[in-house]
Amino acid sequence: MVTCTGCALLCDDIEVVVENNRIKETRNACRRGAARMKGCVNRLIPSIYQKPSDIDSSIKKAAEILKNAKSPMLFGWSNSTCEAQVKGIGLARKLNAIIDDTSSFCQGILIEKVLQKKFRTCSLEDVRNRADVLIYWGSDAQDSQPRHLSRFSYFPRGETRQRGYEEDRVAIAIDVRESNTAKICKGHFYRIPLKGDREFILALIDALSGKVPSYDTKKILELAGILKKAEFGAIFAGIGLTYSIKEDLVVLLTLVDLLPNFHIMPMVGHYNMRGFNENLFRETGFVNRVKFDGNVNHEDKYSILEVLKEKRTDALLVIGGDPLSSLPGTVVKHLSAIPVICIDPCATLTSKIAVVTIPCAVSGVESDGTAVRMDGETVKLSKVMENNYLSDEKILTRLMRAI
Amino acid sequence: MGMDLGKFLNSPEFEIRITTYRDIFQVEALERDRFGEEYKKLSATIMMSRNDLQKMGFKSGDRVRLTSNSGSVVVEAKENKRDEPGGIAFMVNSPWSNAIVSGETGGKGIPEFKNMTAKISLAKEEVTPLEKLMPGMRQA
Ligand code: SF4
Repeated sequence: MVTCTGCALLCDDIEVVVENNRIKETRNACRRGAARMKGCVNRLIPSIYQKPSDIDSSIKKAAEILKNAKSPMLFGWSNSTCEAQVKGIGLARKLNAIIDDTSSFCQGILIEKVLQKKFRTCSLEDVRNRADVLIYWGSDAQDSQPRHLSRFSYFPRGETRQRGYEEDRVAIAIDVRESNTAKICKGHFYRIPLKGDREFILALIDALSGKVPSYDTKKILELAGILKKAEFGAIFAGIGLTYSIKEDLVVLLTLVDLLPNFHIMPMVGHYNMRGFNENLFRETGFVNRVKFDGNVNHEDKYSILEVLKEKRTDALLVIGGDPLSSLPGTVVKHLSAIPVICIDPCATLTSKIAVVTIPCAVSGVESDGTAVRMDGETVKLSKVMENNYLSDEKILTRLMRAI
Repeated sequence: MGMDLGKFLNSPEFEIRITTYRDIFQVEALERDRFGEEYKKLSATIMMSRNDLQKMGFKSGDRVRLTSNSGSVVVEAKENKRDEPGGIAFMVNSPWSNAIVSGETGGKGIPEFKNMTAKISLAKEEVTPLEKLMPGMRQA
């Protein structure tokens, strides 16, 4: 049995058939996980100025670029093992660099609240064993964490939920779109307008406090009734919800204060985004957007987006991320003006504009380590097959030594 | 015979709100080959309700140009399989949707990936190739 790094559920029940140093077949993995484990068609090769080089020269060149930069930045991390993340934070300290990860424009603001213990949360095992009311809010788990419903939340039988979804569990979807997950929540799909989450929450708060909600009164009262009766409720908060209420996350906390049996779990895509948030939080008290200069500085201006937009970095190391693909087109222009170093198992859009590329092993397949599941549980990753790629942790160790 | 160019010259522009979502088939294609045809096909698409398509005079399969204050791309319009009330169109999160997302965040670092407004009109150009979405690609 091996662990899949396709998403932050880190399913640890995967069987693989290896042939010619590649995973030929997987069992139990979902479509997303199987694709991740079988690997990409474009493996990255070491290069300098887009000309093929060797690992040693690439690492040497990368070290030289970072050493000479006035304001280096290290970004990515949500597809790296915890061991590599800790090394990366050490490297950022040594370089007086800015460090940020993809949670910066994803679930970071919500995970920060979890780590600061601002609301109740629970483990996925708690959900499987006890949860009777499940709310997928701005979250299409079926497409993003495809085994969430089958392994943990809706379908399985749990200790106190022996009748599973047929009788013991109610699944509710609140979304702007009738997603595949919403389709499963038959009769309990609440369609809201774009950016309508806050208003929906306020109406629910009214209903739970005995007032008549001004918005969609009948449906909101019906939903409030279900929530009040819950023995163990879980709100799976997707980025749809987080983005929509990012200016006022507190309303969500006010809502769960009225629901003492409810727990909030941020839904995480990248397999070890939560790991990075926890590791940085442990060392600095912040989950992302940190600049070291002997002290720890945390400000929004150190987010990858603002740094690129305001041209605040003169050398960027990208590890296990593809900002060129995932950030707004207008913002990534700065990437072609500065030296970019790219560490990844596969060629990415960012690697195509990088000055230095350093291929690494696929974690959980070609190298081992640990990662943090979306609920905070630490999970071991195994090395499934022998290979010649360096792990991201080893690459960072060598970079550190060369600097 | 041939294409009716008048169709494009007179093609009216509409305003549309767009939100992004995730699709497991597109993620699978991304894992396998982010430079491949499959990934492009599954990404460079805008899903619209039947109402909106009819209202704007588009057919499922037409190519459309989306233009926002931040950029412009050509993608394929497709009819939503599920009954949607309309007013909002859906794009899978990808470099094509990112071409029209604003970088303005009020200094907060989180773009409105799921809340965009764009002008939409029929396009005669091909779907925007990935290379066009990559600034300053370095050549070997
Ligand atoms: S649900 Fe996530 S971790 Fe589980 S098999 Fe699918 S991609 Fe892998």
